[in-house]
Amino acid sequence: MSVQVPWSVLPDYRCFGCSPHNDHGLRLTFAPHPDGLQARFTLDRGFESYPGVVHGGLVGVICDETMGNLIVLDRHQPAFTTSMRTRFVTPLLVGRDYRCVASLRPDGGELFHACAEVLDADDVVCATASAVYQAFSLDQVRHQLTLGDDEVALLDQAITANLSPNGARS
Amino acid sequence: MTTTLDDITSTVTGIAAAEIGVQAAEMAADTDLRGVEGVDSVKVLRMIAKIERQYDVELEDEDVFGVSTVADVAAVVAKALGERA
Repeated sequence: MSVQVPWSVLPDYRCFGCSPHNDHGLRLTFAPHPDGLQARFTLDRGFESYPGVVHGGLVGVICDETMGNLIVLDRHQPAFTTSMRTRFVTPLLVGRDYRCVASLRPDGGELFHACAEVLDADDVVCATASAVYQAFSLDQVRHQLTLGDDEVALLDQAITANLSPNGARS
Repeated sequence: MTTTLDDITSTVTGIAAAEIGVQAAEMAADTDLRGVEGVDSVKVLRMIAKIERQYDVELEDEDVFGVSTVADVAAVVAKALGERA
């Protein structure tokens, strides 16, 4: 079962991480996981660094994307990444299957603390990440977003009314 | 609740043993991790990643790459926990 991210209500959203409309993006999709949220992915040579190796920066993008979407799905608030740390254990290889699992520290307030693991097909940890996010309201960042009033209203509704990662409507 | 160095050493020993594939009883605080047959830098890093997750800490690479024994790892974790407190 996949989870719809709130941004998907915008017909033309281009998020590099999760939009199906961005030809150059990762096109990640998400599914519920007992620890939070999971994204399965297999990257081709378009995302290569050393020959046959996935670019390390993209591992960070995938972790950030999974953690960030977990926050908006679970806490119903969009958030910006304020800091992030990635530990690379082994290189990810082009054409291989991986999954990223993100979880949230059970604390409240304005800052969210999340962590993520990237595991290979044998469930061996290849990378980990931890990050801090600051919640924002759409009104606060209207001047930075290229969205019309109708799109903001649509997105606001989707964020507050969306399904939680485990599929329950909250 | 206070986490003592003994508690940390016990947890680190368990994680290290699981990663290396030996019984925890076969390891001691002064076990040189890099001297154990089959242990390479990837296994040490994977162990460190699990320890970081377990304690919700970020260990400095300068510390991580300087450790040799289980006791060294436990000391680095204790230092990180102390800095967070």
